[in-house]
Amino acid sequence: MADPINIKSHMTKAADMGLANGQVPVEYYTSPEIYAREQAMIFRRAWLMVGRIEEVPGPGDFMVRDVPPLDARIVITHGKDGLIRAFHNACSHRGVALVCQERGNALTFRCPYHAWVYGVDGSLRAIPSEEDFPHVDKAKNGLAQIHLDVWNGFIFLNFADQPEVTLHEFLAGLDTMLDGAPFGQFPFYLQVTDEIDCNWKNLVNAFNEGYHVAILHQKTLRPAVIPKENPYLHYLDIKHFGPHSAGTVQRNFDYNPNVPTLSWVYAQMLPTSAPDKQAIAEGRAGFYEHPGINRLKIPNFGTETITIFPNISIQPLANGYLFYQFWPLSHNRMRTEVRIYGRHAPKNLREEFAMANTLAATRDVVVEDMAMSRLQQIGLQSGGKKVQNFGENEPLLRMFTRDYEAYLAGGGLTPRHADAAE
Amino acid sequence: MSVCSLPEQFSFLEPFAAVWGDLHSQDERYLKRQSLSYGELEAFHAVLAHRLEEVFSYLDGFDPNALPEPEARLFRTVLGLTEASQAVEIFGQPRVPYAPYPHSVKMEWVGYEPH
Repeated sequence: MADPINIKSHMTKAADMGLANGQVPVEYYTSPEIYAREQAMIFRRAWLMVGRIEEVPGPGDFMVRDVPPLDARIVITHGKDGLIRAFHNACSHRGVALVCQERGNALTFRCPYHAWVYGVDGSLRAIPSEEDFPHVDKAKNGLAQIHLDVWNGFIFLNFADQPEVTLHEFLAGLDTMLDGAPFGQFPFYLQVTDEIDCNWKNLVNAFNEGYHVAILHQKTLRPAVIPKENPYLHYLDIKHFGPHSAGTVQRNFDYNPNVPTLSWVYAQMLPTSAPDKQAIAEGRAGFYEHPGINRLKIPNFGTETITIFPNISIQPLANGYLFYQFWPLSHNRMRTEVRIYGRHAPKNLREEFAMANTLAATRDVVVEDMAMSRLQQIGLQSGGKKVQNFGENEPLLRMFTRDYEAYLAGGGLTPRHADAAE
Repeated sequence: MSVCSLPEQFSFLEPFAAVWGDLHSQDERYLKRQSLSYGELEAFHAVLAHRLEEVFSYLDGFDPNALPEPEARLFRTVLGLTEASQAVEIFGQPRVPYAPYPHSVKMEWVGYEPH
């Protein structure tokens, strides 16, 4: 047997990353003025993830997405030429959001107000009574396009007139480390959407530390994930790339639910998070084989918690992955979108029950985080505290704050360590 | 309540079909769980959780896309256990601690029509 890994030596502390900002102003979380600055300096400048290419698999497929901090309503289409494009959902005539279905397949989009017609490539094809619009050049009045790029199947948009950096530069090396990670093997998903009264960064922070897991999630996650050797679930081996990061998280491989419903579910179809020991042993456990994931090769590997600035957390797991996106709706209201990705849709009623059970269980964990973030917001807004304290064991909260401040000040986008982690 | 809304061999679930059998989405089941007492959730769990294999062995005999109404109602009732078991097996109380009440959450299956 190989020498046991010294887990403690891999617990990345804030000091290891040169992050001395242990106190962070509460007003970042409570001020409408600072939120206005976030909208302009972060959400209008950063590349924002809005979905997966599997959602628009063939020519004519389209989907509609909201980007709440920019009040933007977007249509993403797969053209006959194979290109994926994004447009503002607004007719060139008088602005109507003309695509009203959430997703579908179309040859053209027809505005329901006056029947102006657009191709799925955004081009303006027809204007009824066209002679009354001599000043409108059809070639110049297609749908307003948004900068789009794709990494590893993830679709990103940039709302700047001219993006300051490419998507590759923005991802700053995280993309290289995770190139080829098999997200495409898990095309099926369930989505949980919940809105609550708190600042969006409360949720970003909750997903950037394991310190709370044994306490807040004591009934849900704790038995399955907290190992004896790491009782505060310190993230291990933190890799950082510009404002993005990845940290390794353990879990309890000997966890046995030992309650009747959950045990039955495990026997039908393992939940997204539960390790498939047989698949791991046979080298077909998806993410486990990727060299950018679990670099330490810890035997009780749970997940690599991947944070993409400003509002994404992705957790590759044994049977799929969890995807979280945190959207501000105002300075003190936010929406969390969670996607539980798996290999396929249920094939029978047993699998539908198992997935519904995983859906309920995953939702309850998120509800715990949402509920606590709401209580946190109440406390922050009460006004008695001017700072939050981020510990040595919460390095990613300090790192997020550092890069958040850089963005608000007009920087943040120069790739700093494009080729090196740590 | 109809005289035999469930397949006869599962008539022991009739009182719970009256609670869960007409719910058609996970959010409706989540809200129902929040509104019930712990005792009611425990009673449902006690009757059904150890008999899941029996229920699904029976349902295996039907086309999932064309369930007759008694079997569909049985399945919808059983799906209630996905919520009741969270209360009984995980939390030991009906609701997620500190969560707002009532708490509705949007849950979607993309590319699949759940029962």
